[in-house]
Amino acid sequence: MAVPDPITNGSSTPLLTASALSRRLSSDAAVTDISLTLDRGDVVGLLGLNGAGKSTTLRLLCGVLVPDQGSVTINGFSMADSPLQARQQVGYLPDEPPLYNDMRVHEYLTLAGRIRGLRGNALVQRRETVTEQCLLQSVDKKLIGTLSKGFRQRVGLAQALIHEPAVLLLDEPSNGLDPQQLDSMRKLIIDTGSSSAVILSTHLLSEARATCNRVAIIHAGRLVADRPAEGTDLELVFHGATT
Amino acid sequence: MIATIARHESTRLLRSGQTWIMAALLAALFGFLFLKQLEAFIDVQAQLAAQDHPVGLTGFLSVRYLEPLALAFTLVAPLFAMRTFSDEFRHNTYALWQSSPVSATALVIGKFAGVLLIMSLLVLLAVSLLICMQLFVRVDFPLIGSATLGLLLCTSACTACGVFFSSLTRQSLIAIVASLALLLFSWVLGSASFSAAPLQFLADLSIANHLRGFFQGYIHTGDIAFFVIITLLFLGLSVIRLDSLRQSGH
Repeated sequence: MAVPDPITNGSSTPLLTASALSRRLSSDAAVTDISLTLDRGDVVGLLGLNGAGKSTTLRLLCGVLVPDQGSVTINGFSMADSPLQARQQVGYLPDEPPLYNDMRVHEYLTLAGRIRGLRGNALVQRRETVTEQCLLQSVDKKLIGTLSKGFRQRVGLAQALIHEPAVLLLDEPSNGLDPQQLDSMRKLIIDTGSSSAVILSTHLLSEARATCNRVAIIHAGRLVADRPAEGTDLELVFHGATT
Repeated sequence: MIATIARHESTRLLRSGQTWIMAALLAALFGFLFLKQLEAFIDVQAQLAAQDHPVGLTGFLSVRYLEPLALAFTLVAPLFAMRTFSDEFRHNTYALWQSSPVSATALVIGKFAGVLLIMSLLVLLAVSLLICMQLFVRVDFPLIGSATLGLLLCTSACTACGVFFSSLTRQSLIAIVASLALLLFSWVLGSASFSAAPLQFLADLSIANHLRGFFQGYIHTGDIAFFVIITLLFLGLSVIRLDSLRQSGH
């Protein structure tokens, strides 16, 4: 699968800037001094072992969690000063998709679009587009509670994409997908990455290599490497960084 | 945005079988109590007519039918509100709101408004039985208006209380027990007598004491302010709670 190279958008403002993010959860330091910059076209794999701090980092980046130190800026909006505008620029898929089992897929996507400010024809159009992109046409009228894990994951992705976010944050998006679904999910992420910036967390090096053009390795809450995804030494770097 | 959230919340309630079961039980209670008090009025009508200032049908039913229903609404409002946030926490759907451009204030007001809309329909159903009497006798509409206002204000305060306790826990049951305990305590304050001066302020915190006037047709701004303040207090506490969740990371 071809992975696009980073595309510069001609603008000097990065789509996402995280500066020295630190956050303690309970008494333990969950993440320490994380800095990341993403431009349009960046598809970054946040790679790390379980418990390394990947999910916490994504939660800090999308504003679900407030950092103890550091700052996040999304498409020019500071998460601290203009949280609503900053969150408007983000699409977020947590490790467990936030789905209402008693809603139908199209109803849920309508709600997701509405709370991101879409109305009227624009909402209908975007809902149809993401339904098609995420291959949800066959289950559009079905109750979410009756869907398989793969479909649920795709509905979760569709809600994150519905408002065409500048930054897409995906926490273990390949969870529960069969090989065919995994392939279409990767294609979708790569397509999305051509017009926005994407970070996906994973603990699988193969997944990062197949989907991303950049890899950020996180270990024990610290960013220990940030480099292009291609190159034969990536495996060595990952194992070296996490042991 | 608030309208979108309110619509979502009320639609969710209407989709739930539990809502319809509770509504059916309430409707049965309305019918039973209404007919029972109507019969009671017919029985004592002659004695009432002999009084200097006889109480009319509306006045009688306002005190004997609508006032007891205020307690029923106090008990039911937290049942409807218990799922507003605790269900979101338990099913991990709260992340949708947290990552969206929705402020905690809009979220709390939207969810509160959604539940209150359903509760208001139930209040109107209860009052409609009284209004239907207009087909046969003259009813006192200003008194009905006053009683309806009292019921709506009481329901609003109890719903806000339920929303707040729902924002504190993932367990709906804990939310409902906590809110019912507080609200029933407030009712008990109304029936207890506080002779000692330092304890008299407790009587002022009673829901029952502040409601009584509405069912007799007396609308005091102090009573309206009491319910509005209680409502705003619990909604404000809910907003603070949601903001603290973003800080604490739970």
